[in-house]
Amino acid sequence: MAVNLKRSSGTGASTEQIQRRRMLGWLTGLGLFGSGILSAVSNFVFIKPRATYGQPQRFSIGKPDDFPPGTRATLGARSLCVVREGNKIAALSTTCTHLGCIVGVSDTGFACPCHGSRFDQDGTVTGGPAPRPLPWYKLTLAPNGELEVDKDIEITPGSYLSL
Amino acid sequence: MSPAANPIPPKPGLLTALKELPKNVWNSIFRNPLPSNDLEKSATSFTNFFLHIHPVKVHKHSLKPTYTLGLGLISFFLFVILILTGILLMFYYVPSTTQAYDRMLDLRGTVAFGMILRNMHRWSAHGMVAVVFLHLARVFFTGAYKKPREFNWVLGVVLFLLTLFMSFTGYLLPWDQLAFWAITVGTAIAGYAPVVGKDIQFLLMGGTSVGQEALLRFYVLHVAVLPAILTLGISIHFWRIRKDGGLSRPPEADATPALEFSAPAATMKVAGPESRKTYGLQGLVRGPITKAGQVPDNTVFSWPDLFRAELFTFVITLSAILILSLLFNAPLEEPVNILHPPNPAKAPWYFLGLQEMVSYSAFWGGIGIPTIFVVLLFITPYIDRAQTGVGKWFAKERLLANTIFLTFVLANIVFVIIGTFFRGPNWAFVMPW
Repeated sequence: MAVNLKRSSGTGASTEQIQRRRMLGWLTGLGLFGSGILSAVSNFVFIKPRATYGQPQRFSIGKPDDFPPGTRATLGARSLCVVREGNKIAALSTTCTHLGCIVGVSDTGFACPCHGSRFDQDGTVTGGPAPRPLPWYKLTLAPNGELEVDKDIEITPGSYLSL
Repeated sequence: MSPAANPIPPKPGLLTALKELPKNVWNSIFRNPLPSNDLEKSATSFTNFFLHIHPVKVHKHSLKPTYTLGLGLISFFLFVILILTGILLMFYYVPSTTQAYDRMLDLRGTVAFGMILRNMHRWSAHGMVAVVFLHLARVFFTGAYKKPREFNWVLGVVLFLLTLFMSFTGYLLPWDQLAFWAITVGTAIAGYAPVVGKDIQFLLMGGTSVGQEALLRFYVLHVAVLPAILTLGISIHFWRIRKDGGLSRPPEADATPALEFSAPAATMKVAGPESRKTYGLQGLVRGPITKAGQVPDNTVFSWPDLFRAELFTFVITLSAILILSLLFNAPLEEPVNILHPPNPAKAPWYFLGLQEMVSYSAFWGGIGIPTIFVVLLFITPYIDRAQTGVGKWFAKERLLANTIFLTFVLANIVFVIIGTFFRGPNWAFVMPW
């Protein structure tokens, strides 16, 4: 910029000044545009919560004895269905993979009241618009003898926990 | 009190001042008297803040009720009713999962006029969705989106989408079963959008499921963010009507009216005194606008014709909403039970077509087809550049465009009817009889 200032007294002053003015104009525009983008991004960062206030994703559901063989028990508040056949036990999600309604237990498995998706006993889609089978969640036997579900970890459907 | 006789008017006494007080206060507010001549008629638009959005003169064709059906105005008046009743409801509403539903019951039971205010708000909201869509259909069928009104059409489509979003955010607020499950489903549909879907869903709900955070977010969107954007959008929409040369009309409407004189255009004069002086300002406005003395004059003064038509539309709209609200109560379902969606769980009627489509495929029904329809709406004025068939209902020249539009509309109506009457428990197909 110093060079420009010196030259501005010469014969080509007006061209130089116009160029400088144009560059300043560009810089101003760029600055305003950049600030606009920055504030838009900051707003998105602001409204995206860092912490959520919902239930924990990992929790205990009780002792294995609470679920005798043959059980198909829905734990409503957790959106879970605990299935026990003999010594094998598993936890399926009851949140419909279509649009998030809670599926009900039906004779043949699960049925969704919202858009008519149907699932069999293992959560495999048998009808309706659901794109994926019902997830199976990781189930472990904690040292204190209680069953622990982690809804953040999905496992292959059909893989039971042997007691 | 004649200044001509005495250059310094005599100081009026206190008694005179008091006697003239009402008149002087009135005259200080309203400088223009009730119009008795054309000059005063034109001055109404300039001197009154609430009227200055109007042009001094308006084309006769724009005042034809059979052309516009008054749909744009009705939409606006419904919006006004919604703002006013909404502000009143805010005095009693609390956006909290533990209190919202109780507040609904209070509005029904204990708050004075609470019931009718909620009814008015609900029916106006339904009405606004319907009327805004009918307005959009009117503009389409009359080819009114064509040049130079392309941008105002785009703006109108945005306003229609905002209206839908407005009603969507509104119906979570009662925190009843319909509210909860409709928003669960609606946000899940957003989750199917490619790339950003899951983020949008998370941002809308403020978490992984619909709960207190979602209720607060929807409340803020519903009472602050969206009304502000909508108000701004409507203002620009109105402003553009004038800048685009008033409402659309067929070329014939601008033909020389059969007046007694048939002088050459150069010597043609517009009937009426002071015409040049009063609308000299309009000469500054670019575009196809009526310019005094330059084009044949098919216009009338806004006062009283336009204002009377607006007042009439307002009274009819308000009366209809009042009668509806007195006759029918806004539904309120059971309080939220996050364990059991109602079976079948149905959205309000205007989203039932969407819900029916979603039951076939979440992506195509909820994202794909609606997006295609909206994109088609947006680009229509930039694709359909022919200047023929503007200003006429169902013009022959626009058969193709009108057919495509009507196909989409009818398809949606069919889906709405199926969703409303032919869907039973577990969304199974049932006969309504």
